[in-house]
Amino acid sequence: MGRRVFGALALLTALSVVGAACGSSSKPGAAGTTTNTSAQAVPNGGTLVIGAEEEPDCFDWLGGCSGSSWGTWMAQIETVPYAFRDVMKDGQVVEEPGAVLTGMPTFTATPVETITYHITPAAVWSDGVPITCTDFQYTAIQQQTSKDIYDPTGYVDSDGKADLTVTCPDPKTAVVKYKAGDSFAGWHQLFASAVGILPAHLLQGKDRDKTLKDGYTWSGGPWFAKWNKGDDIVLTPNPKYWGAKPHLDKVVFKFESDTAAEFQAFKSGQVDAIYPQPQLDVVSEIKAGLTGAHSQYNAKTGTIEALWPNDQRFPFDSKAVRQAFAYAIDRAAIVQKLFGALDVTAPANSLNPYILQDYSDQNSFAGYHYDLAKVTSLMTGAGWAKGPDGIWAKNGKRAAFTIVSTSGDKRRELTEEIMQPELKAAGFDMAIKNTTADNLFGQLLPAGNYDLGLYAEGVTGLIPGLCSTFCTKSIPTKANGSTGNNTSFYSNPAADKLLIQVDNNLDDSVRRTDAKQADDILASDMAALPLDPLPDIAIWSDKVVGPIQDNPIEGMFWNIDQWGLAK
Amino acid sequence: MLKYLIRRLLASVPVLVIASLITFWLVRISVDPLAKFRRLRDSAQVIPKQRHLLGLDRPIIVQWWKWVTHFARGDMGISTRTQDPVSSMIARALWPTLQLLFWGTIFSVAVAIVLGVYSAVKQYSIGDYAFTGLSYLGIAMPDFWLGLLAIGLLVTGPKVWFHLNNPIFYSIGLHNEGVKGFNLDYIRHIVLPAFVLTASSVASWSRFERASMLEVLNSDYVRTARAKGVPRRQVIFKHALRNALIPFTTVTALDTAGLIAGVIIIEQIFSISGMGQAFLVALQTGDAQFLLAWFFFSAVAVIFVNLLADVLYVVLDPRIRFS
Repeated sequence: MGRRVFGALALLTALSVVGAACGSSSKPGAAGTTTNTSAQAVPNGGTLVIGAEEEPDCFDWLGGCSGSSWGTWMAQIETVPYAFRDVMKDGQVVEEPGAVLTGMPTFTATPVETITYHITPAAVWSDGVPITCTDFQYTAIQQQTSKDIYDPTGYVDSDGKADLTVTCPDPKTAVVKYKAGDSFAGWHQLFASAVGILPAHLLQGKDRDKTLKDGYTWSGGPWFAKWNKGDDIVLTPNPKYWGAKPHLDKVVFKFESDTAAEFQAFKSGQVDAIYPQPQLDVVSEIKAGLTGAHSQYNAKTGTIEALWPNDQRFPFDSKAVRQAFAYAIDRAAIVQKLFGALDVTAPANSLNPYILQDYSDQNSFAGYHYDLAKVTSLMTGAGWAKGPDGIWAKNGKRAAFTIVSTSGDKRRELTEEIMQPELKAAGFDMAIKNTTADNLFGQLLPAGNYDLGLYAEGVTGLIPGLCSTFCTKSIPTKANGSTGNNTSFYSNPAADKLLIQVDNNLDDSVRRTDAKQADDILASDMAALPLDPLPDIAIWSDKVVGPIQDNPIEGMFWNIDQWGLAK
Repeated sequence: MLKYLIRRLLASVPVLVIASLITFWLVRISVDPLAKFRRLRDSAQVIPKQRHLLGLDRPIIVQWWKWVTHFARGDMGISTRTQDPVSSMIARALWPTLQLLFWGTIFSVAVAIVLGVYSAVKQYSIGDYAFTGLSYLGIAMPDFWLGLLAIGLLVTGPKVWFHLNNPIFYSIGLHNEGVKGFNLDYIRHIVLPAFVLTASSVASWSRFERASMLEVLNSDYVRTARAKGVPRRQVIFKHALRNALIPFTTVTALDTAGLIAGVIIIEQIFSISGMGQAFLVALQTGDAQFLLAWFFFSAVAVIFVNLLADVLYVVLDPRIRFS
């Protein structure tokens, strides 16, 4: 009798589990519908579930614990008003005033750089309090005076002192004035990119970091964001938002850091969209096939993977050797191997990513192709000769060096493995010694304690300018307390002059011309060697409709308020 | 029993002290607590201040003493990654891991005993050979591979093959959004991670139980019981099994303590925000304070589980006294 009861219970449990799987779910939507275009109406309602590869460390977007791209994509741009947004128009990233402004701010360069923001009259926080100039003031002061600010660029000068003031002729007008003699060409980034505008009435007088870091219940955007630590971030519509209301009832970003499991979750319908990093296992999963899925691979992004020789260390202290090294690597073959399955085959040919094409010569490095004859010509011309082991040598020293990158990164490890025999054939002896990201970026690079680095550099906005990476003044030295990002230790006064103009000149046409010329000098000097453009990979199921398009700066979810679920 | 427990607890203290010292030293030499400050533009000013604030300018033994005395008072320090108290991070991560360990251990023990007893009683039968083969497969199979295989065959597969609206089982987390408590949703989430955790344990534990049962079944007192006409079921479950469980308890106690580290892979695959996931993130981001607390917590867990095993011995065998 006991066994029969137990058996019946087991059968009942199994049937109810299967019945639940077959029955309707809380996620409506039928499979098999095609992705909507922006021309068709997007239905209202439903819950969208998205796989998120990374959980942010905190919600204090100004603080040092911020800097997580996923945090920005999932929560910051959905809840914090931005003076400028980077949106997609006709397949290109364009900067336009955010919904919090009535239009383009008024800009004058003389007598001092002055920007006047006109705030949308209807713009309010989620508690109904109007968004005003006081919020701009509060944000600027926080950027200028708080400790542990992630990036105060534009708000402070090179000595860390306040560089601008915000005055309020009326509540809906904010006037930003720079100090006499100072200017900031990237003023579009103020109260925008990775910062935004914070609510003064909710934060004034409080410890901003403590108040924000674990999440907040207010919003100045189309969504509220609720952070369930360890599980997910849930977006729900902000009824007080003055702009177009979201179509969806809810968006759930579920944290899922394992790539293989993430793809299984997508295939099994547990998540409706994913935005994986361009890693080798991701490419393998895509090659294996994704039924009923739509995908977009975008190589025109803001991030470039590059090789960074240390210009103050043998053998890369010689321009001829750097150039010969560039001719010894088949960059096209590397990109083909890494991303050929995604139809991304062309190497990057500028140290500026594609989205900054207007401020760069995108073909400046195109001349560096695989050419062993050129290698020989350059090296022999510089007084090198091949030893019995086939490796170049000069004055008894071999052309041997070590490459360092982040350990555990399969894409970078494969890149090194492809390079090693190529370089050997060309007469260079390269050893591989990878390390942790903290050690690489925190210790080795600033100290110049490396020969050749392999890592990516990216931009978080349409911010041209490589001065922080290549200007002589950006070289970390004892005099400047080992600060500065020019860890290639590259120095060329001609490049300095141009790069400083790109950073500071308020005339955009001058910036564009100087940036292109600087690109050509950097290529001629082989300051660094761009390898592959790191593509964005966006994948979504048939259930998801709307104008879905990758945005290399704001991420795939930049317009999630316009998405919906097919009926 | 109480005296014995107190004695064992006191004896654990020097073990914990030595474990904490070794852990502290290893973490200090492996992870740079100042790493995140080195990237700041004013790092030259910030680093000496932070070095002093964090006590890194003191001798390592002084640093350790300060850490261990604070730990004993429940102050595990502040995470260098999130700036949250480490104690709250551990508390948040512990509950999902305990659930996973609980269900995994319960299933493992139950299934291992059943399989072990069956294999011993039906020695050299087809069933015995089948379970032996499966056991070797289970022992050899890495958890991450089994986990992905289980997801493919039991989550994605049925949904795709049978065109279901929803998968039968889930592979992310322990609940769908907005759902809490012990319910069907929870069962559909916990089954697979518990199964993967169970599989490798069942494989080895069932072999051990089989060997232990065989030894007991061939002993004199069991032969006597059979000769006296005691029913077969009674001989197996009342007389033999209980004695066979004593060495089984030792193995399961040691292995369960080791599972705490093993759940790292399972939590990563199934996105369960437990101690394993938290450890991985801390390791990748160099969160020294969290790592210290995690390692020490694991040491405490191992000692606790072994103590529990000792108590179980007395329950199983009244002949054993705490002398």
